[in-house]
Amino acid sequence: MNPEIGPEVRASDAALIERLVRRDEAALAALYDRYAGMLLSVLIRILRDTQAAEEILQDIFFQLWRTASQFDASRGSLPGWLAVIARNRAISRLRRHNPAAGEELAERAVTSPLNFESAMAQQQLLGRVKGALESLPKEQRAAIELAYFEGLTHSEIARRTGDPLGTVKTRLRTAVETLKRTLQPSAAST
Amino acid sequence: MNGHPTREEDFDLYALGALEGDEKLAIESHVVSCADCARKLAEAEGRIALLAFATPRVEPEPAVKQLLMEQVRAAAESAAPEREPESERTTGSKWRNAVLIPVGAALAIATLLLWNENRRLDQQLAALHASMQQQQKQLQDAREVAGLITASDTITVALAPQAGMPKGAARVMYNAKMGMLMYDGEIEPAPSGKNYQLWLVPASGSPINAGVFTAVSGQPNHWMMKLPQGIEPKTFAVTLEPAGGMPQPTGPKVLVGGVS
Repeated sequence: MNPEIGPEVRASDAALIERLVRRDEAALAALYDRYAGMLLSVLIRILRDTQAAEEILQDIFFQLWRTASQFDASRGSLPGWLAVIARNRAISRLRRHNPAAGEELAERAVTSPLNFESAMAQQQLLGRVKGALESLPKEQRAAIELAYFEGLTHSEIARRTGDPLGTVKTRLRTAVETLKRTLQPSAAST
Repeated sequence: MNGHPTREEDFDLYALGALEGDEKLAIESHVVSCADCARKLAEAEGRIALLAFATPRVEPEPAVKQLLMEQVRAAAESAAPEREPESERTTGSKWRNAVLIPVGAALAIATLLLWNENRRLDQQLAALHASMQQQQKQLQDAREVAGLITASDTITVALAPQAGMPKGAARVMYNAKMGMLMYDGEIEPAPSGKNYQLWLVPASGSPINAGVFTAVSGQPNHWMMKLPQGIEPKTFAVTLEPAGGMPQPTGPKVLVGGVS
């Protein structure tokens, strides 16, 4: 079932944010339909707890409703911004650290040249990101996943895997270089 | 470090959360005063955020959206200022104006003060409403736990470690009629790239996923889960599976408990 049904489907994120600032509930519902599935998947992947993930999901969108005016759609990527917040919230919860709700909304700047406002674009992006991760050597992919989905730092990954710290640093550096190359927009058409 | 990061990937590593200590502080202190590096960091945040798309979409339960919209409506209703009644236009004499204008101004100031106070109280009310909803959810969870624990037909199964597998122990409480399961256990961390997954193995039919989890040394795992009602279990087992879990068990059994 495609959740994006209705006149808001074709509206851009920027247009929906503008309507959100004017307290338009339909705009919030449209943004929720557009991005809740993507955010919930990453929340569940990090937390392994659907109920906790749904609580955070609801909280993120309520916060977006309350503080939409802080988001400058001309300068930032809304899904990128939401993904950063979702990941930070989930990892904080995983580590039983509870930052003051909302502190990160105003602070993080996230830009992306990619457009993933439609379900089809998101599906294509899923394929690209999965492909990029799968193309990494196994150890590099594992290091990236431990950092992104479990919030581990270099030395924490080294402790977890038993590998030397220098090795872990090299793996992660090489992995992010490769991902940067693979995921840049010009690589999309190749 | 006061200058620019020597390598561009430092921004990606920062966004990934891998940097720590001085390396992390160096980026944070530098981007405050360097617009070019702040822009590069924002781009790196956007690139790393794409990893969120590495997992297939999971559509939330419709109730989550419904709760969100109710929360938004409650907040909007409580924050909306009441309309001021339209003031009647007066055409009275100068003495009336002399009295009414200062009184009107005072009333306007008082209205503004009251509106501000009203808005502050409404914001508190919205926060309380959200807190109440959360407490209701916690209360509902507590009721479900109590219901499971006190039901006479709830079974408790101890899961024992298997030879050659990570050490641990767990207990499952399960009520087939309620379709409710509670897991309590502690187990050594899984090897890199793997997760543990709990299965209900029914008397007939395929195993049912009852939770994928990450074990942290010294920290017990605990959760409740709703499963389809009326399934009679034969065994509960924890297996080692690829990260993210599998639709059916593929890895070795780590903890096993049979239903007597």
